[in-house]
Amino acid sequence: MKLEKKIVEIGNLSQSIRSWMEGPSGRRLGLLTSIDGGQLATLMLDPQKSVVEYWESPLKADSYRSLTLMVPQAHWHERVLWDMFGITPEGHPRMKHVLLHDVYPPDFFPLRKIPFFDSKGFSKDRSFNFLEVRGEGVYEIPVGPIHAGVIEPGHFRFSCFGETILNLELKLGYVHRGVEKRLTELPWQKGRFLAEAAASDTAAANALAHAVALESIMGIEPTATAQHFRTLALEMERLAMHIIDLAGMGTDTGYLGFAQNMSRLRGKALGLAHNLSGSRFLRAFILPGGVRNVDTSVLAKIKKNARELKAELKPLIGFLHESQIARERMEIASISRSLANEFGMVGIVARACGIDYDCRQSFPHGTYPNFAPPVTVGLKGDIYSRAQVRTGEIFTSLDVIDAILENIADGPTMVSVPEQLPADTYGVGIVEAFRGELIHFVATDSDGKIVRYNINDPSHNNWTAVSIAIRDNLIADFPLCNKSLALSYSGNDL
Amino acid sequence: MLKLLNYLLSTGIQTVIDPCPTPDNEWRGMPALTDAQCGSGCNACVEVCPTGAISVFDESGKADVALDLGACIQCGLCIDQCPTGTIVESKTFRVATNSREDLVLTTSAARAEKVAAVLGRITPLRKVVVADGELDTGKNLFTESLHARVVSTGCSSCDAEIGASGNPVFDLERFGVHIVASPRFADALFVTGPVGKAMQNPLVRCYGAMPEPRLVVAVGTCAISGGMHKGGYAEANGADSILPVNIFIPGCPPHPWSIVHGVRVAMGKMEPYKPQILPGKK
Repeated sequence: MKLEKKIVEIGNLSQSIRSWMEGPSGRRLGLLTSIDGGQLATLMLDPQKSVVEYWESPLKADSYRSLTLMVPQAHWHERVLWDMFGITPEGHPRMKHVLLHDVYPPDFFPLRKIPFFDSKGFSKDRSFNFLEVRGEGVYEIPVGPIHAGVIEPGHFRFSCFGETILNLELKLGYVHRGVEKRLTELPWQKGRFLAEAAASDTAAANALAHAVALESIMGIEPTATAQHFRTLALEMERLAMHIIDLAGMGTDTGYLGFAQNMSRLRGKALGLAHNLSGSRFLRAFILPGGVRNVDTSVLAKIKKNARELKAELKPLIGFLHESQIARERMEIASISRSLANEFGMVGIVARACGIDYDCRQSFPHGTYPNFAPPVTVGLKGDIYSRAQVRTGEIFTSLDVIDAILENIADGPTMVSVPEQLPADTYGVGIVEAFRGELIHFVATDSDGKIVRYNINDPSHNNWTAVSIAIRDNLIADFPLCNKSLALSYSGNDL
Repeated sequence: MLKLLNYLLSTGIQTVIDPCPTPDNEWRGMPALTDAQCGSGCNACVEVCPTGAISVFDESGKADVALDLGACIQCGLCIDQCPTGTIVESKTFRVATNSREDLVLTTSAARAEKVAAVLGRITPLRKVVVADGELDTGKNLFTESLHARVVSTGCSSCDAEIGASGNPVFDLERFGVHIVASPRFADALFVTGPVGKAMQNPLVRCYGAMPEPRLVVAVGTCAISGGMHKGGYAEANGADSILPVNIFIPGCPPHPWSIVHGVRVAMGKMEPYKPQILPGKK
């Protein structure tokens, strides 16, 4: 959707955010960033009314009073502000870099475009000092960046007492590739490939959020046919990823018969994506203006394959839920609903704690007003609740896919798209990616060039959940807990 | 337990017995070049390619195309846009090579010169044969077994496809291939992702921890050339500039069959992809 800028004085920002969030329930901080270093740019969301507000707070110094103590949802965003823009949130309780390690010079701020206000520039280096837990018998376990399995890199520093984890601190940023900066350098028509590559298990959702954000500022609307194909793509991606995440959880409880079959069925879900778009990951399929051409003769095959997949999934997923051993392993590592709210968690992680926030209902676009499935919510916020939410969403996605295939109208898949973006506009695309709320925020300058492109991956909000969930649990339970959260390193690091 | 056993037995053997079959019609394959003459002054493919993988050499009115599969993300736009049928789709999963140069296709007769222009350098062919000293028989030691350590530095879809290639359908394990937890146990280092600055040191240390003989396999376009991330401040230009890569598997991500093909090429059991010019439509 296209956004109007509202100026909020930097001194009032903390209180304004707090008042907004104390309003009707569900209101949240979407993201907090900057355009070029000279201001704070805040997106405030009201999911119940589908309202998004864009607040800009001009800065007159290189620092401001940190919002985190009043608004914990801002904590990670403020760290990134420092990393990428050199803006210091003074009084931040855990000020460390998120994205840029000390392989980068201390005065390197890739997204900052304006000179520093203070001539003394910047004093903090990029070293990362882990929180220490002291006491007799307490020791540290460092894990990563390279992990034993086939998974993205990140560093986990555990402080343990015996088998019990007292504290876990994360150091991410290992796969920072400079995506957001590159998005301001590429011609906008090529940006979708980079958005997809940012976190490509979320390729369809990223391409969709990119398309929705740009279409909203260009003022164009894709055809109904294209909207149907987009929903199909998004649900296929959700389906495939939920299947493999449940498989991963099965592997980590030692339930290999279940897990290997789920991996095979995930291949069938990817097969649906392959049939629709020629790519198992739906790459290069969704673009501003619509979708790539689809040979409609494959739709009957997709419908048949999806129905067969559903029939195979039902008994197989049942095995996980019926296994007492697996369930007992999974009824741990819970996150309280209040902590999930406080830290602004989204998606499966939040829904497993009982928070019914799903962007398909809250910020519907395309066909979702007609096809949004009921929100699947868990009760206890533990690993098993997250498995339950995924299970529910697998079947609701299959229902949506079936319903869409019954209703696709023939027609063109693309509308014409202007060459230039409009000048001085702000747009946003909000999509329920399989992990949760994904926000793409775009700002153009007076020449119609993209001056800022911010991808707020659901993992950006959710990584804190790992530290919270694993506290006081056993080190041996960490892989299962991590898999149950299944967060994206690349989506966070960009 | 019995119910699960019953289920497992009833699903039967899922493995596709003949590896790396021909893809079906829906698969969006990598581009290939034909001998249909490219229109001089056209440049449609160059303009539309997201990674700059295509170059056109317009010398005295005759245009020649060079296309680097090592920078190709399979978006299909060059195939869609080409008005002369010079760039077409190639339906094959067998895209892995043992030489960086073999990933560059060109219609020009001066192949070596165009390849050097596209790559900016010539990389030495690092044969997958074993090493020095008493073991130097010139034979490939990995024909019956290959243990791989995977280091991910990118977006995770290549990792997901490596994981899929170990599942019952593609069953890489039937060839004696296992993913191992430590570089100490590994014969080959599979690198995925463009290897940005923060992962360069960990990657090199991982390689250093591997006993010889050891191989490096670049899985995916990012690992070969940096893909969409090439040339940024994060220096994410692929593994090829950091480690001695033996096998290159292009794709974004490469299909599990392409990964199987790359591993089988490393094991000396399948032929690598060779650059060729297809006959163009008349």
